[in-house]
Amino acid sequence: MAALGAWRVLRPGRRWFSETVPGAPLPPGGPLYPPVVASITAKSKAAKSRRLQRFNQRVHAAATVEEKLRLYGKLQRPKYTVYPQTFALNADRWYRSFTRTVLVPGMPPRGAAAKPPVGAAGATLEAGKSQEPGAEAPAAPEAPGDAEAPGAAAGAVPSVDIGELRSLTCDALLQESFYQNKKRPFLYRDQDHTPGPFLTQLVSTLAASLSGRNPLLAASSLDLSPEVNYYWHHGEEVVVHGHRKGRVDPVRFQIDDNPHLQIRVPKQLPEVVPLESDLGDVPVIDHKPSKLPLFKKQYENKVFIGSKVADPCCYGHTQFHLLPDKLKRERFIRNRLEDQIEVVYRSNGIASLFAWTAAQAMYQGFWSEADVTRPFVSQAVVTDGKYFAFFCYQLNTLALSAETVRNNPRKNICWGTDSKPLYDVVEDGNVKGFNDEVLIQLVHFLLNRPKEL
Amino acid sequence: VFPGVRQAQWLTKTKLVEGLPPAVQGIVDNPALGLQELEERARHVVSHARLWDTTEVAPRREKYCPVLFENLIHICRLMSGKYPALSKRMLARNCRIAATWERESILLQVRGLSGVLMNSMTPIPPVASKEEILATTEHVLETFYPIAPTIDLQEVNVYKELNDTGQCFKDGYPYSHPHTLFFLESANVRTDRFRPEQLRAKMLMFAFGNALAKARLLHGNDPKVLEQPVVVQSIGTDGQLFQFMVFQLNTTDLVSNDGVKNLVWIDSDRNLYERAQCVPEVKKGVVTKPAGISGFQPDTFKKFLALYLHGTV
Repeated sequence: MAALGAWRVLRPGRRWFSETVPGAPLPPGGPLYPPVVASITAKSKAAKSRRLQRFNQRVHAAATVEEKLRLYGKLQRPKYTVYPQTFALNADRWYRSFTRTVLVPGMPPRGAAAKPPVGAAGATLEAGKSQEPGAEAPAAPEAPGDAEAPGAAAGAVPSVDIGELRSLTCDALLQESFYQNKKRPFLYRDQDHTPGPFLTQLVSTLAASLSGRNPLLAASSLDLSPEVNYYWHHGEEVVVHGHRKGRVDPVRFQIDDNPHLQIRVPKQLPEVVPLESDLGDVPVIDHKPSKLPLFKKQYENKVFIGSKVADPCCYGHTQFHLLPDKLKRERFIRNRLEDQIEVVYRSNGIASLFAWTAAQAMYQGFWSEADVTRPFVSQAVVTDGKYFAFFCYQLNTLALSAETVRNNPRKNICWGTDSKPLYDVVEDGNVKGFNDEVLIQLVHFLLNRPKEL
Repeated sequence: VFPGVRQAQWLTKTKLVEGLPPAVQGIVDNPALGLQELEERARHVVSHARLWDTTEVAPRREKYCPVLFENLIHICRLMSGKYPALSKRMLARNCRIAATWERESILLQVRGLSGVLMNSMTPIPPVASKEEILATTEHVLETFYPIAPTIDLQEVNVYKELNDTGQCFKDGYPYSHPHTLFFLESANVRTDRFRPEQLRAKMLMFAFGNALAKARLLHGNDPKVLEQPVVVQSIGTDGQLFQFMVFQLNTTDLVSNDGVKNLVWIDSDRNLYERAQCVPEVKKGVVTKPAGISGFQPDTFKKFLALYLHGTV
């Protein structure tokens, strides 16, 4: 009925099919018709991208950070739960591919950021080779930013009395393992009996005695067993079964972490290398994450650094993780998996620090569509009570979702050491074989602060 | 049945003095310590414990009471940047205390998990002067005739008279002097928590137990008047209300009712803040109670810090 249709269109004042308000004034010289955009509700790729754009605009336009976080995690769908402390084989490669992280062995040289960019490239090349943490201390005199006292000689940071700190450490160790009469440890809860309290005592006394040197520590907040959560999208997959079968969905991940101890500070730690540095390659894994094994669950999408957005101490300084009994060294050795021991420490460091730094960045208003404009740096110490491994993480990018990662040249960087023992054995009220290097590295970590302080 | 402190006083042969001793009050009033600046931090710390520490809307008492305590201790410990002697302290959690003594032919024993104990390498100097100690000889202990003083105590057949906090720590422990005991009433349900009066009595009994064990370790098991009185402090809280106590053990001669008595200074029922509102209360579209901590009392925090610093500063 073409004539009838034409008559309907020609009738003035009746708009059946267009979206404009009848009688709206036309802009002079502007377009006569409203922009032709995709529908919002249709089952088409264009409609899907329009819905995604509207969602992104809503989040961009959110007034407060709490509102942004609420909108970001509003839609609940099944997601992979990533556990930082895991027995999965080669988990650190998988975690690096999920979080787009480059692993650099050894610790970053102190004061590398203070050097001009050319020097920084040289320093980061040094970091690329394996470096003992103890060898950091002789390298410290070359770094201009680390001038505790001019002409620092070999070994310790000179203005800190290492002997004093060593005696504090030994006292904490002896109290927990020898002097205090405790009942026998509960079955499979050895870590709560001695290493847990020892770590708490050690960190609290060291942080207190070093607070004179580091004003950032004096304004810090110490959390015992806090919760750290982060939710993100990375990659795409096709929904396998259910009423949404066949649709292309982002792969969702959630980390729910419980560090043993963490220190939060009101000012951010300085960047280690510039934002756009490229220090290595991110592993690419062709398999689905469920092969790791990782399992899907649907629950609340939480983003949390340890306290709510209103807290002034909103940046992270150092986390301390205690490995549970399930991941003891003896178990791996018994099952002939010695090379996986270091993997446990590395995967814990990478996953926990990524979650923490990314949550800190979200608390400042950045998210995957609004990438970070400054790098977020945090540190972590992973230990099982005797062996300590140190990690430093720099978050350069939050843009990991399928649309944003295509053109994203930035990578996150994690520096990490192998695990080293702090002491050999505790016998009869004496600590035998105390290793000063580990203590010095711990002191370096606690003394880390922004340049202006 | 009774105000528990009166009963505890009779059992431990103690005279009560209201308020904190002048030595501690002196630390509170000392301007050189910079307690004013810490007030802001204390406010943040209370907000953190009561408002910000959880992914839920409001944390429960089991969570916020220990967190508040840890945060306050963290602020106190950070003072060791200024006073290095403060680092000669060590916290011990879950230590068991046991002490036995006789009062007028009744054998009494204190046993149990005494919360968190802070030990130090150096003892706290005596708080009361010699004259005050001698003056307690005239003080008559309040009796509860015709009610026996051991009412509400559990009668138990004790086969081993356990006697020292050496049960808690082995010999040679460098931090050998008990400094302060902390009691956290953190049960969620109100009936599981001690009421303030009972909490004070519990604090007194445990402080006495620790002091007695230490005195017996230093001076032997014979009952006598101590040349160097042993001082142990105690702080109890339920997350909002604080009870402060300083106990000085002057004598281990507890069988008779005469002679020198022990002394205890109690500062009770100090609120750290009035209320902590997690979500603003809105009635008929008007905000009646804004979110946040209201009625913060800096004096309570200053007393907490003063008790921590006592003995070193």
